[in-house]
Amino acid sequence: MLASRAFSLIGKRAISTSICLRGHAGVAKVEDYALPGYIDRRDIPLPQLEYIKNLSAEQKALKEKEKASWSALSIDEKVGLYRIKFNETFAEMNRGSNEWKTVIGGTLFFFGVTALIVIWQRLYVYGPVPHTFSEEWVAMQTKRMLDMRVNPIEGFSAKWDYDKNEWKK
Amino acid sequence: MAHPLQLGFQDAMSPIMEELLHFHDHTLMIVFMISAMVLYIIMLMMTTKLTYTNTMNAQEVEMIWTILPAIVLITIALPSLRVLYLMDEINNPHLTIKAIGHQWYWTYEYTDYDNLEFDSYMIPTQDLPNGYFRLLEVDHRMMMPMESPIRMLISAEDVLHSWAVPSLGVKTDAVPGRLNQTTFIVTRPGVFYGQCSEICGANHSFMPIVVESLPLQHFENWSTMSS
Repeated sequence: MLASRAFSLIGKRAISTSICLRGHAGVAKVEDYALPGYIDRRDIPLPQLEYIKNLSAEQKALKEKEKASWSALSIDEKVGLYRIKFNETFAEMNRGSNEWKTVIGGTLFFFGVTALIVIWQRLYVYGPVPHTFSEEWVAMQTKRMLDMRVNPIEGFSAKWDYDKNEWKK
Repeated sequence: MAHPLQLGFQDAMSPIMEELLHFHDHTLMIVFMISAMVLYIIMLMMTTKLTYTNTMNAQEVEMIWTILPAIVLITIALPSLRVLYLMDEINNPHLTIKAIGHQWYWTYEYTDYDNLEFDSYMIPTQDLPNGYFRLLEVDHRMMMPMESPIRMLISAEDVLHSWAVPSLGVKTDAVPGRLNQTTFIVTRPGVFYGQCSEICGANHSFMPIVVESLPLQHFENWSTMSS
């Protein structure tokens, strides 16, 4: 019950924050992708079509005004002309998203689930560890390894100070 | 033997293993440098705002990224071949020892002078004396004189095995019906552990190899006492 609610939460977030879904927002509907189409892409700064195909009466009037001197246009009119030609500005199309939070959160969640499974396995599936892992045995074993000079050059015994009988600092 | 949490090779106990350690250091350094460069380039590619959609020719960079890897490969190949040929040098062994693999133990034969032959079984975990190494100790170790070139002839009685001692830089397959030869010199006295390195059945993990190298006098004493 909790698991299915958690999964559906992650799933919904994964879809809603997904970068992929945004890709279709700036594209006008085309039947044939090989024909000229509109798209908001950083590396295609001048798409093949205008964004708005069917202009309203106001927009048509604006386009007429565009034929005259551009310094006569107000800021809002210039923005209006821009919005006829383009869907999103560069700033808008390049905006970041919150998808990274979904990815990191989902990954950590699954790490946690895996950790629970591993802990359960250690407790309920595996038998006891061999007696050679007990502290006393490991102590005797370590002493024996030092006595027989295991890896004396750069490895194990190289880190033991044989004069002072302690690990080198 | 390996020590806990060990990452690198065991310390070299024979000259060939020393050469292999140095070669590995050299090659690993090259590998790290290439990986760091590739990682850096990937990072640059992922974080740039620049785009260019019209790549046609790239003659200059193609030349560089063909010539440079060729040089890197030669830099790796030359030391590699040197070590390879070093391994094959004629070294006039003082002693020949035969190691025969069985399921699931080794037999060592010293037949140069007397007929000395014995089996070497793993000591089961419940019978281990205090502080001994689990799955590594055997009842009869292979003794050999130190600082002498030794010839090993490795074979098998039943299925494939492999006689391996990492600190000596030796791994030779034991093939039934075939004698494989390897030679080495042990530079220090000591006890060196290895494990069977070719899958050979249920107890493949439980037929270790233990080599004990001694000064010549002590080796001769042992040899006289044992045969």
